[in-house]
Amino acid sequence: MRHFIAFISVVFLGLGLYFLKFQNQTVAPVTAQKPLLHVITYSSFAADWGPGPLLKTEFEKTCNCEVKFLEVADSGLLIQRLQMDGAKMGVDLVVGMDQFDLDKAKNKLPWRDVGAMDVKWVPEVQDATSLNTFVPFDWGFVAFNTRKGELSLTPTSLKDLLNPSLKGQIALIDPRTSSPGMQFVFWVIQTMGLSEGESFLKSMVAQAHSFSPGWSVAYGLFQKKQAAMALSYITSPIYHLVEEKNEDYISLEFQEGHPQQIEFMAVPEFCRNCDLAENFMRFMLSEPGQRIIMNKNFMFPVLTGVIAGTPFESLPPYKKVAPFRVPTEEEIKGWNEVWNRSRQQP
Amino acid sequence: MLYSFLESVKYVGHLIPISFLRIFLGYYYLEMALQKVQSEFLYRPVIAELIGEWLPNSRAPHWYKVLFGTYLLPHWQGLAFAIVGLEMAIGLSYLIGYVVRPVALLGVLLCLNQLYINGPNFEAHNKLLLAVHFMFAWLGAGRCLGVDYYFYKRQRGLWW
Repeated sequence: MRHFIAFISVVFLGLGLYFLKFQNQTVAPVTAQKPLLHVITYSSFAADWGPGPLLKTEFEKTCNCEVKFLEVADSGLLIQRLQMDGAKMGVDLVVGMDQFDLDKAKNKLPWRDVGAMDVKWVPEVQDATSLNTFVPFDWGFVAFNTRKGELSLTPTSLKDLLNPSLKGQIALIDPRTSSPGMQFVFWVIQTMGLSEGESFLKSMVAQAHSFSPGWSVAYGLFQKKQAAMALSYITSPIYHLVEEKNEDYISLEFQEGHPQQIEFMAVPEFCRNCDLAENFMRFMLSEPGQRIIMNKNFMFPVLTGVIAGTPFESLPPYKKVAPFRVPTEEEIKGWNEVWNRSRQQP
Repeated sequence: MLYSFLESVKYVGHLIPISFLRIFLGYYYLEMALQKVQSEFLYRPVIAELIGEWLPNSRAPHWYKVLFGTYLLPHWQGLAFAIVGLEMAIGLSYLIGYVVRPVALLGVLLCLNQLYINGPNFEAHNKLLLAVHFMFAWLGAGRCLGVDYYFYKRQRGLWW
């Protein structure tokens, strides 16, 4: 017993000393020449291939400041992370919440009123521009994507997804951990109602290839041809066209219409460089900022005229499944319960 | 000590395959711990995010969810420190075969917790590790090719 206690103590003592030494190094005050703007966002936004690095470079040219991105794995985790550590980390700007996060964000955290932005909004996001604290910066329609000629039956409605030929072919996303996954549940419930929607989701379990925790995993399975279809965005084929010169990818238009995802940014009340954060917001809504977001995030811009002359212009105008609104936390909880029940074995 | 280390092959040679597994697992745990030390695991709430993401949907008992959600989540840094410390202790202990039995019991505890907080993707992995730790504790896996044999010869008892 003495040996055991001594051994454990030595290990923890060693680790503790290392930790203290390293922590002292990291928290040692560094006199910053320039103010530091902390932007928290989801990882694919801040990744090398995402819009974050280019936005940072362009903004830093004019702001006499430094932009630092803090990342969370998925946009669904932004609020949770902010609640835990937002003030301590000195977050100035939050980028990447969608309409399913807003009610929770409003209830859990204080936000700064940034007023109305002087922007010529596209009509598709007009309804989402009067929130003052939350400002839209891009949008897209959620849709199923596939490759040309891969399906024997091309679905044109949600109910077509239950066709036996699609059994085990659809890469779905868990709504509890990812926003597009929640969009799918919303799509089903909005179209069919709660009760019929629940039985539809139960039937979809057999059709699903997998239920991934996030969009990137599900889309990766689809790209590796493990699944024939994946839940994604109508703009996803543009990515393959522009980046890979591949015209095989298509998004499927459904007659019920499609859920619209709008992404928002906001400044928390505990911001330290609040004016800088608002300037960064304005830059993201400027034409150069919107171009970067469109070309790197592959989502539609919110500013009128930006898509002119780009491949985005060629996309057909899809029908919305429902007008824009911010669902309440209670509603989302209810939809999660529907999802949980549909996943349970009969 | 070196003599008894080699002598263990003669007297408890049947445990050699288990010892190789122990050494492999020791290396695995030490590598995991070092990766965590070098990454931001101790400085950013990675563990808190994991718990927040998976615990509400896990099959953990209610009291466990309350304990983690209410008391441990706000003190994620202590929890991260404990996890890295335990992994390091398990790694070192298994590598040199010292105090393997009690440390294997700590491994069982660690795996039980990981089962609830690491999400369904790692469930089978953690169950398997749990069974291996349990076997090490049961067999006294440090007695062959390990320091434990030296102490076992001199002091006997359940700890070796």
